[in-house]
Amino acid sequence: MQASLDQKYNFDIVKWFTVASVIYLVVGTLVGVLIASQLAWPVLNFDTAELSFGRLRPLHTNAVIFAFGGCALMATSFYSVQRTCGVRLWSDKLAWFVFIGWNLIIVSAVITLPLGLTSGKEYAELEWPIDIAIAVVWLAYGLNFIMTIATRKTSHIYVSNWFFLSMIIMITYLHVVNSLAIPVSAFKSYSVFSGVQDAMIQWWWGHNAVGFYLTAGFLGIMYYFVPKQAGRPIFSYRLSVIHFWALTFGYVWLGAHHLQYTALPDWTGSLGAAVSLAMIIPSWGGAVNGMMTLSGAWDKLRTDYVLRFLIVSLAFYAMSTFEGPVMSAKSVNALSHYTDWTIGHVHSGALGWVAMVAAGALYHLVMKLWNTEMFSAKLVNLHFWLATVGAVIYIIAMWVSGIMQGLMWRDYDEFGTLTYTFAESVAAMHPYYAMRAVGGLIYWLGGAVMLYNVIMTIRQASSATNTSPATAAA
Amino acid sequence: MSDDKNPFPGENNTGHVWDDNLRELLNDPPTWWRIGFHASWIFVLVYTLLYPSWPLINTHFKGIMGWTSLGEYKQDLKAIEEVRAPYETKLASMTAAEILADESLSSYVVRSAKVLFGDNCSACHGAGGQGNPSYPVLADDDWLYGGSVTDIQTTITMGRKGMMPAHKAMVSEAEADKLSASIVAGNVVTEPLYMEKGCVGCHGVDGKGMAPLGSANLTDGIYRFAAADQTYSVKHTIMHGVNDASDTNTRDAVMPAFGGTKLSETDIKKLAVYVHKLGGGQ
Repeated sequence: MQASLDQKYNFDIVKWFTVASVIYLVVGTLVGVLIASQLAWPVLNFDTAELSFGRLRPLHTNAVIFAFGGCALMATSFYSVQRTCGVRLWSDKLAWFVFIGWNLIIVSAVITLPLGLTSGKEYAELEWPIDIAIAVVWLAYGLNFIMTIATRKTSHIYVSNWFFLSMIIMITYLHVVNSLAIPVSAFKSYSVFSGVQDAMIQWWWGHNAVGFYLTAGFLGIMYYFVPKQAGRPIFSYRLSVIHFWALTFGYVWLGAHHLQYTALPDWTGSLGAAVSLAMIIPSWGGAVNGMMTLSGAWDKLRTDYVLRFLIVSLAFYAMSTFEGPVMSAKSVNALSHYTDWTIGHVHSGALGWVAMVAAGALYHLVMKLWNTEMFSAKLVNLHFWLATVGAVIYIIAMWVSGIMQGLMWRDYDEFGTLTYTFAESVAAMHPYYAMRAVGGLIYWLGGAVMLYNVIMTIRQASSATNTSPATAAA
Repeated sequence: MSDDKNPFPGENNTGHVWDDNLRELLNDPPTWWRIGFHASWIFVLVYTLLYPSWPLINTHFKGIMGWTSLGEYKQDLKAIEEVRAPYETKLASMTAAEILADESLSSYVVRSAKVLFGDNCSACHGAGGQGNPSYPVLADDDWLYGGSVTDIQTTITMGRKGMMPAHKAMVSEAEADKLSASIVAGNVVTEPLYMEKGCVGCHGVDGKGMAPLGSANLTDGIYRFAAADQTYSVKHTIMHGVNDASDTNTRDAVMPAFGGTKLSETDIKKLAVYVHKLGGGQ
């Protein structure tokens, strides 16, 4: 069975993306732990420009979003598109081009960002030659995915593929427009947009990177791996259609909510806030559909640690898709904007939702691809608890420090003067920054446990294959 | 793997099956979800009716509440200014010395200048005016340019840039060692070189410095350039001077001017009173 599947589908490319993704999870979060520690203990900047917070912060975000997240998306989408279409990838060569290209882009980020080569656009810091490479590789990925669907053996397109498709189309559009720039040298360019237009384009990209890459893409993962791991049907086809179109139509409006009370015209911010709040229910549609898929099989959560990752990730998803819209409302935003609350919100999505659903899918992949059980189920459970506890510590630290910051900044005494200096608010953050670093370290430990477990599983499976006469005969 | 035939008979699925066992049920979304979904788009209509929202050809829909972010800002600012007004109008027409003498006004100033001090002064002089290496303490009674509230106001407004010439051309290593040792010992006026080399011209017969020049008191054990090896530090100052452009190793000691566009006159008066009340005002 496995041998025939191996021949029918291109699993090699999926294996490489899977292993790369787990490695990048460990590396990306390690840089995160370092920069979190730098904020608590500035001596860790080592007075070295290349190791300073300003240079490493974009390295952290690029590593976790595009290296870890990207490889996880490509592994899961290349795997599930083949299986749900009943055909091999349209082009093996193109798939390898994507793997090599994407990883070269990651290497170039690791070199250029610490050197201070940056376009200065958040979540799109890489300079113009790398931006062009991203566009080319992403289009190659998209073409291969779309052509695989076009050559499918099934009559209908499975729901996970709708979400991957929406990600591929929108991220192409967003990346290209946001990165439009005029080069002045090999590694320096200036955006074609300026002033408030630049800010709007930046956050139109920024929020939709969240919406279509970290949400739609990972919902694609959820729609394949939750029912597969649970062995249960998707709860409601109708729900998946409605929430898919609601998210796809609604998300593109949201970027303006990052620019409340700025030079951005008021009408733009209102529309951003209104549609953001209207996204709570469509977002919960995905969470409900995933969780209800388990109805009648809840007992599986006791024994299936991989399923735990998938289901708890949906709980985090529901929480952060409630929190985000609330923060976009003007009155809440006036308090939360520029504070650590934003950082906490991003990480409840990133640590709780994105990385947990990806971890669940990656464990599932490792077992399917190498046709084996995990080396240690106990270590999967350990990873689950380290990830959950680490994420919760991180989020709570940032809630407290963020709300405290916001309240300190706006506090007036009876004479109508600010009660606190800015420096006092910084000093007050110290214990929470330390707590955040600890939460991040615990989360990183979970990732390291996963990497060890994956390596041991693959080694075990490889040696079993090499000595098994049955496989040799096949 | 055809999805024409349903391998899960009796299940209310759509009839489509992918990858052996993936299928979707025909359940309706939960009722609370459907109500919430309709509430969501109705909410968008209501919200955008209330606030400035839909773009039109040359303008945008203003919203029936008349809200603007600039209007909200002005309203908040007005409320704060009303609280400050009784104090601020008095401060504008009074001198720093008069403010200092008025108890209720000076206690207002201590509160309202705290953030001014924190944002403008504390980076160099410390959060409580306790000073930093090479930045003077403001909380003691040792003043280079005088410690009256008027002197302090002048210092903040105009800035200070004292000048001590480099002496490396006219003082030998051995002489500089002697001079710096006697300064650290607190008895420089008894050192013959003090007169011979002309130190007395700026630092005075008693060695206590002169406020109009900003020259340091050499007898009190308080150092403008404090260091672990104080004798070495003093020697460096003697040899290379302070703000002497002709010497690349000279001491860099500049207090920037905050008058003009940086801070308003009233803010500077507030800061002068605040610094004076840190404890060392004269």
